[in-house]
Amino acid sequence: MNVMSARPRSAAPIRRPGLVVDGVLLLAVLAAIVLALTTDRFLTVANAKAILTSASLVGIAALGLTLITIGGSAVSLAISPSVAAVGMIFLSAQSLGLIAALVLAVLCGTLITGLQGAVVGYAAANPVVLTIAASFAITGIATGVSGGSTVSPTAGGYDRLNATPGGVALSVYVLIGLALIVEWTLRRTGFGRSLYLIGENRRAARAAGLPVGRMTAVAWLGAGALFAVTAAFTAAFNTSANVNLGGTLTFDAIAAVLAGGTPISGGRGSALRTLAGAVLIAAASDILLLRGYSTGVQIMVKGVIVLVVVVTVHLRTRGSRA
Amino acid sequence: MIHSLSSPPLGKAAVKVAAALAGVLLATAACGGGSSGGGDASGTAGLKGKTVTFVGYGKDNPWGASFNGVFVPKLESQGVKVVDLTTMDPGTAVTNFNQAISNKPDLIVAALLDTSSTVVPIKKAKQAGIPVLVFDGRPDPSVDGDVMQVLSDSEALGTAAAQNLVEGLKAQGRTSGSIIAITGTKSGFAAQDRMKGFDAELAKTPEYKVVDIQDGNWDPTLSGKIATQLFAKYGCSGIQGAYGMADYQALPIVAAAKQAGCPVGGKNGLIVTGSNCFKAGIDAIKGGTLYGTATEDPGTIAEQTADYVIRYFNQQNPPAKELVKEERVTAKNVAQFAEQCSKA
Repeated sequence: MNVMSARPRSAAPIRRPGLVVDGVLLLAVLAAIVLALTTDRFLTVANAKAILTSASLVGIAALGLTLITIGGSAVSLAISPSVAAVGMIFLSAQSLGLIAALVLAVLCGTLITGLQGAVVGYAAANPVVLTIAASFAITGIATGVSGGSTVSPTAGGYDRLNATPGGVALSVYVLIGLALIVEWTLRRTGFGRSLYLIGENRRAARAAGLPVGRMTAVAWLGAGALFAVTAAFTAAFNTSANVNLGGTLTFDAIAAVLAGGTPISGGRGSALRTLAGAVLIAAASDILLLRGYSTGVQIMVKGVIVLVVVVTVHLRTRGSRA
Repeated sequence: MIHSLSSPPLGKAAVKVAAALAGVLLATAACGGGSSGGGDASGTAGLKGKTVTFVGYGKDNPWGASFNGVFVPKLESQGVKVVDLTTMDPGTAVTNFNQAISNKPDLIVAALLDTSSTVVPIKKAKQAGIPVLVFDGRPDPSVDGDVMQVLSDSEALGTAAAQNLVEGLKAQGRTSGSIIAITGTKSGFAAQDRMKGFDAELAKTPEYKVVDIQDGNWDPTLSGKIATQLFAKYGCSGIQGAYGMADYQALPIVAAAKQAGCPVGGKNGLIVTGSNCFKAGIDAIKGGTLYGTATEDPGTIAEQTADYVIRYFNQQNPPAKELVKEERVTAKNVAQFAEQCSKA
């Protein structure tokens, strides 16, 4: 009897935080919907296309980062320099033709990020520290090789990446296609399931005989390929590339992954969540721009969104574990 | 236990090392203070043996790399020793400026990444009797009289951009038009001065109106995103002209317009202008997608800044402030500026 009567009392505190979080989240979502619906020109086809286009470049890079994060390697802080270096390679290789330049870019991107992944996977290096060092090294090498100058395309094939089949930017189709492929890989393949296990508990995964080093390196290789795709589209869009091409992409991609609800600790999350995160941030920026707020306010709101989602995910996780 | 036993000797060793280091630094500082150092603010005639500490833009910035590639060799060829303390990080630039003061060179040549945070170093340099030459962007007004200046004519760049837009729109036969502007970092003097010139010139033709100004933060990717959203906001029919404050901001505007299905250039398309020229911009002018740009190429200002330093050391008393002449570039004269604009 005592045990039976104690159950409801012990269950109550577990549910309350979850309920509060859900309530706050619901209110936030409702407020965002009201804000969107009352924003002039938000509900137009052209604006929807603009949001998806804005989300596409960050989204593709964020898909790569999702692989890294789910695998328990936290984040890469070398996304922007990697994208810049690969973008420069892509444009300078245009004389070889678009396909050859794309292949070269993906190979280079895979190699640059894959090497970092190998060190993280096999030598258990701290990914944050390693990628800070890598970002300096990549920028240094790119600056040395290019002499610091801007790379212009050596032929015009790159412009096909700026195409708009059906009136929608090609990068949007690529984002959606890649999100589905990454999601399928994570959910339906042995590699994907292993990655979740490694991210959840690396020591247990190793004890279970999983090739932790190899899986981690493969995740980073995949991320590198996705960063390279972002680089090609970004360089094609900007028509030129230099070491600053990546801009704030590192933090934008991290924001998209976290806003999608993938925890930084790894072991959970999905590509589709990241896609939603990228679109959410692009939509928020769009609403603010349509309402006439400055770029500074847009950046601040991006930070608030990430903070709210991270806190929400943390509270819900704690609630479910309690 | 092992930790507690081993830590005291380590702590003592650390204290000894720190004490020795402090001693060396104090001795160095004392010796430095006693020596004549350099820092001859009066500028003895001749360039041989003169030291310039160069706190310019880092080589990781294309404009900076091109500037440095002209400026440094020109001075070194005249026998001037150039100490390179270049960076693109505003915080490091302040540290480097302070380092430059302690080096006591004959002249500090600086680009001001953050005008407010360099007010104190400029005042310190003045107190130490070390002359400072600022290039490209103007300093904070509170220290305007404390430095020599070779400046880009930002207002002229803005004026040229407005002239390009008006000329392009008139050539299309438009009697009115809406214009968007995506600027460099709004809080910086360069962007403010360019907008001042741009607005003043555009005020002469009130039929062409600026409908939206956004801060592109000198970031091409951000500028492209903003442009994408603005084309969705106003539609192709709602924007006739666009100003990207640098060519690398104007070109993403062109790409965003095309992706939004808006025609660019030609008889009815969007008129886009940049305002400091790059090779990709020159190619776009030749291709008809960018109506025009303006100079502010790093080679020209580097030549003029180096020339200023030479005149200063030769005691030719250059004026305290010099503006670099900026030129407007369109399809009509693009061949004339193609090489000058293709170095960054």
